Amino acid sequence: MPIEHSFNPYGDSSGGSTLAIAGKDFAILAGDTRHSTGYSIDSRNESQIHSVGDGLLVSPNGFSADARAFVDDVHNDIIWYHHKHNKKLAISSCARSIMHTLYRRRFFPYYVSPILVGIEPDGTGAVYSFDPVGSYEREASRAAGHASELLVPFLDNQVRKANQVDPETGKPLAQHDLDLETALQLVKDAFAGAAERRIQVGDWLEIAVVTKDGHKVERYPLRRD
Amino acid sequence: MEHHQANWGRPRNDVYGEYDFAIHNAGSHDEPTTRTLQPTVTGSSVIGIKFDKGVILAADTLASYGSLRRFVDEQRLFQVGDQTVVGISGDVSDMQNIQDTLDQLEIEANYDADGYPGPTAPSIHMYLRRLLYYQRSRMDPLWNSILVAGFKNDEPYLAYVDLLGVTYQSGCLATGFGNYLAIPLLRKLVDNDGDEKNVTYEQARKAIEEAMKVLFYRDGRATDTYHVAVITKEAGVQIEKTKCENMSWKFASQIKGFGTQKE
Amino acid sequence: MAGLSFDHYKRNQHLAAKGVATQKFTSTGTTIVGCKFDKGVIIAADTRATAGMIVADKNCAKLHRLAPTIWCAGAGTAADNDKVTELESSNLELHSLWTGRAPRVVTALTHLKQHLYKYQGHIGAHLILAGTDPTGAHLFSIHAHGSTDVGPYMSLGSGSLAALAVLESKWHDSLTKEEALALCAEAIEAGIFNDLGSGSNVDVCVMEIGEPARLQRGFRMPNPKSVKSRNYKFVRGTTPFFDPEPQDAMVVDEVAA
Repeated sequence: MPIEHSFNPYGDSSGGSTLAIAGKDFAILAGDTRHSTGYSIDSRNESQIHSVGDGLLVSPNGFSADARAFVDDVHNDIIWYHHKHNKKLAISSCARSIMHTLYRRRFFPYYVSPILVGIEPDGTGAVYSFDPVGSYEREASRAAGHASELLVPFLDNQVRKANQVDPETGKPLAQHDLDLETALQLVKDAFAGAAERRIQVGDWLEIAVVTKDGHKVERYPLRRD
Repeated sequence: MEHHQANWGRPRNDVYGEYDFAIHNAGSHDEPTTRTLQPTVTGSSVIGIKFDKGVILAADTLASYGSLRRFVDEQRLFQVGDQTVVGISGDVSDMQNIQDTLDQLEIEANYDADGYPGPTAPSIHMYLRRLLYYQRSRMDPLWNSILVAGFKNDEPYLAYVDLLGVTYQSGCLATGFGNYLAIPLLRKLVDNDGDEKNVTYEQARKAIEEAMKVLFYRDGRATDTYHVAVITKEAGVQIEKTKCENMSWKFASQIKGFGTQKE
Repeated sequence: MAGLSFDHYKRNQHLAAKGVATQKFTSTGTTIVGCKFDKGVIIAADTRATAGMIVADKNCAKLHRLAPTIWCAGAGTAADNDKVTELESSNLELHSLWTGRAPRVVTALTHLKQHLYKYQGHIGAHLILAGTDPTGAHLFSIHAHGSTDVGPYMSLGSGSLAALAVLESKWHDSLTKEEALALCAEAIEAGIFNDLGSGSNVDVCVMEIGEPARLQRGFRMPNPKSVKSRNYKFVRGTTPFFDPEPQDAMVVDEVAA
């Protein structure tokens, strides 16, 4: 009998975390730039936010070799869409296309939990989130990656205003449309907190703000330990 | 169905009998496909650092067969094109296969003689990423960790790729044990992106020499002879062989026993 | 039988094989170092404690006092380190009362290695033991299985290689106290910034021959807590509740003043 060795095609190399918030006329995609394997920092400067064309941003969140291949797929799909149809790909169509890209690998999945961010044709900010094999939905906010279990409850509380009432009226607090400034503060505070408590998150925070005019990226320092 | 979380989705052994993995290959083989997947002859760390005018790469000359010092004069840094060096650790047969592939790539590029420059560091890195990710996806990996050093648009370029197809870039990189022992020393010079602009060749070279010395001290699969590749715009690629210097082992004579022993 | 109970060992192995998640212990995924200098010895540690990939404590103490001039840095399972050093601290005190002499570092070393060897590695304490006694300054490392080492400098824990890189490149055999202090702190910082299991601050303990030992918590603090840009206080009454008079469920006792 030959000695059988199994090769594990998946590894634990990945970025830290990403977070997305949809506003009335903007959308935010933010992520830290630490890339780690096990207890080692591979790079302090590996962006998780990828511009795939047509004003759309993607963060793949997961095993980084699959993440790269996945982003390449999405990028190529948009290029081919342009060749075939000679028009911009709407974000809802891109989301459906990503669903097919992921489900195509149903029995050898890309180990990713992607977030797609952009502006809908009606001008509203949009966030779409996916599971590794293509289940997806449009949401007001989403966090993924290593610190998702720290970030999601924070977003539920601060963006969705879950389980909170107005003390005057006793009525549940409505999920009001966040203004950009508040949303940016929430993102910075969320990552500052995640970097305090999650060892894979840190180094730099990249925040991309998408509007109908395109996107802009800003960077802020995080903990480096 | 077995609904225990560890065996989800498999028929229950107590109802249907022992699960037969051979059914995955029904029609072609009686047994499941097996591959012997482990590195045999291996090279240890490759380390690299950027400086203001280029990149330095270093790798020692040892190829180990398990814990045997099998081949002591192996070169693991290769020049590809005019301004790129590829440093490979891990399985040596896979390394030589990659070397052949890269040589072929360069020859093909030269056939054209169309005035376009040959392969660049980013393009070679992209090629290796696709190659290694393809092989891992076929469950037949090339068992290596690789550093690619050179230039991208006249700026120093340094990137990593490994057997899983994982890639990343940084001001200083290392494979294998170098990740633990060399990186903490190299990051003192280039911790952030752009720090390399304030690092001279002499500083970078000294850090590399120090790191190779520490690797020889503490990596059981390292040796004291190594190649250094210096890549600059002006001089292109220069690869030389050198040895660890100014080592100190004299503390060893002070140590007696493992605790209470005096003589 | 005295000592730890292994009653559930087989059951736990069985459950783990079945895929049931095992208990996560708080571990001092750690960088600890020790270094001798001309007139004494120094140990140092980072202050991060982790539970899996979560930071459990940002400023925990990993330097333990065994005797007034004998201190110990611990890596591995936090509870085992706390308990084994607590036990050894008591035993050293009793031993020194019995003999009427100042405790020696080799006594602690022998106690600890015999205790750990007896438990065959099940007590997950990895220690750097240092101190001064009438025979001079000493530095030892002890692994969980009971093996020990002597050396002029050493490091342990998940960040030990990062720290070792610094020690190997900068240590020499005629360090002054100030040089040794700076070297230990730099080695710990290498662990803090390069190993994800280590973080926050540098604690040091200096044991100089003929002097009382000096512990300095927060000797270096390179990672201050980040400042939040918003205020997260809730207005009183924000949380909805269904029973309008929850205080009715309480028993209220008036206590006379």
